[in-house]
Amino acid sequence: MILKIAWRNIWRNKRRTAITAASIFFAVFFSVIMGAINRGMFDKMIDDSVNFYTGYAQVTGEGYWEERFLEKSFELSPELISNIEASPGVEGFAPRLESYALASVETITKSALVVGVDPEKEDALTGLSQRIVAGTYLNKEKDAVVLGEGLAEKLKLGIGDTIVLISQGYRGVNAAGKYPVKGIVSFGAPDMSAKIIYMPLKTAQWFYGATELVTTVVLDIPNKYAAEKAVNSLNTTLDTAKTYDVLGWQEMMPEIMEMKSMKESSNVIVMFILYFIISFGVFGVILMMTKERQREFGVLLSIGMKRKQLAIITWIETMFLGLLGATIGIVISYALVYYIYLNPIPITGDMAKAYADFGIEAKMCVSVDWDIFYSQAITVMLITTILALYPCIQILKMKPIEAMRA
Amino acid sequence: MKNILSVGFFLLGMVVFSYGQSAKEIVQKMDDNAFGGRLKSNMKMTIVRPKWSRTMELKSWADGSDYSLILITAPAREKGITYLKREKEMWNFQPSIDRTIKMPPSMMMQSWMGSDFKNDDLVRQSSVVKDYKHKLLGKETIEGRECYKIEMIPNEDAPVVWGKVITWIDTKDYLNLKTEHYDEDNELVDTNYGQKIQEMGGRLLPTKMVLIPADEEGHKTIMEYISLEFDATFDTRFFSTQNMKRVR
Repeated sequence: MILKIAWRNIWRNKRRTAITAASIFFAVFFSVIMGAINRGMFDKMIDDSVNFYTGYAQVTGEGYWEERFLEKSFELSPELISNIEASPGVEGFAPRLESYALASVETITKSALVVGVDPEKEDALTGLSQRIVAGTYLNKEKDAVVLGEGLAEKLKLGIGDTIVLISQGYRGVNAAGKYPVKGIVSFGAPDMSAKIIYMPLKTAQWFYGATELVTTVVLDIPNKYAAEKAVNSLNTTLDTAKTYDVLGWQEMMPEIMEMKSMKESSNVIVMFILYFIISFGVFGVILMMTKERQREFGVLLSIGMKRKQLAIITWIETMFLGLLGATIGIVISYALVYYIYLNPIPITGDMAKAYADFGIEAKMCVSVDWDIFYSQAITVMLITTILALYPCIQILKMKPIEAMRA
Repeated sequence: MKNILSVGFFLLGMVVFSYGQSAKEIVQKMDDNAFGGRLKSNMKMTIVRPKWSRTMELKSWADGSDYSLILITAPAREKGITYLKREKEMWNFQPSIDRTIKMPPSMMMQSWMGSDFKNDDLVRQSSVVKDYKHKLLGKETIEGRECYKIEMIPNEDAPVVWGKVITWIDTKDYLNLKTEHYDEDNELVDTNYGQKIQEMGGRLLPTKMVLIPADEEGHKTIMEYISLEFDATFDTRFFSTQNMKRVR
């Protein structure tokens, strides 16, 4: 019966109910939207960094990742390929042979990262051919290379010029070769663009004296959830004790994970401030509501209603308002977030240019992860619960006669 | 009485003198035997590792220890690569990119052609005779040959990377049968064996040298002489950067 009374009390004064519920609604709405945007932007950043080069997971030779010695390269055996293709979450793969070399043109010499790739598979994974800004993309029949923009500039090379490469190859053989430049690619991240040389896999294998070998197989995986499944599956199907290592993106790019935790901590602070402000808003409304009903409370107490009961009813009323506001808040914010999820907001102007420089798409993305929604709702409910105690305390202290004269 | 004493001392002195060669003289004899004069040779180098091994063939021309030219003749991938040493400087020519590179001092401790030899070993600026103090430690037998065991400590300002070198030189033919190199902390760095003693080019020499680095399991580099010509003649311009590209 207490619940019925509380419920009816709410609907007796629709305006007051609306205002209180609304303040709670806005609290939930804003914190949810902010959470969704933050998470969305971050996921996108991970996605872009991952797809740009490292991929969500890679299979390498055992112990390769630490020091990246060519000695740890391995053969792409049919058995390995079938194990990779059979893994859940894996949609394809791109093999690579990577190592360092000195790149030289006449008197200028720079250190460079040589990446031997399968032109089609690499393009399917990272969209490399889209990044060509001059000349043409790699052709697996031709021993011609594609340079990062920064490197081409430092060595003053254009399309058709020859680049000389020297290095120590597999098992210490001499690695020396000269190759024509057939294309130039541009990357957002300036440090990659200043070092990278792409060439067909066979060319790199000849150059390093590493016939039939690769240093890594990059897996084509659609998102981070599939990545986890794929990594777990491959850890069981491949010999990771002696021959191979399976690495997920978190291991390969710990800097991103660190950035994410740093960002999340700073987000927590902002959320905290937001809640603080929201609490004042909600409190203001509750305060107003209490004052407004003083006469009503005074009357009820003087005709014999037990203080405790009145306090409980009032508390439940406030909780109902909280629930109402929170529920509407979640429903509407979810609808909005979902809409933006399907139609990301394009960023224009100077911001867009800044994004393009980093190679990130200029779009504002959101995340529809469930935990964003219910965690915000729970927090707001908690705040409301605490603030709802104020009128209860007032009721318990109230002197009915004074109240009735208010 | 005085007469007997003085004769006694004189005899003693004679004995001491005829016993011998100082450690330094032994080393000098070994050095002259092995590397004196002008040398032309064909060699085979094998790099041995726990899981694989690789062989290269090369030709070498040397004038004393100041000038040398090495040409790689096999395998096909490395054919035509040459190294030139003139006194303290070293160059490398790569035919596949048509480039001659002067090797800086910073590269000297890097492996030569992927073997256990360092670039510095080829440049060999130091003299086993002049740059060390020698001390005879005794005699030991290696592979059935009696050897002098000599400890060599480099002089203060000598261009030597080792802290200490111990060498075994055979008593009969003054052949260097074993050498141990120690760093400045007295840790063994590598051991060099002279094996397959044969007559080649008119002299008796160890024709197979095996270098075993101390801290790598199962690593070694083997250099074998296939042919040797002592007292060869060279054109004055033989040891030049232009000749690096032309030599066959």
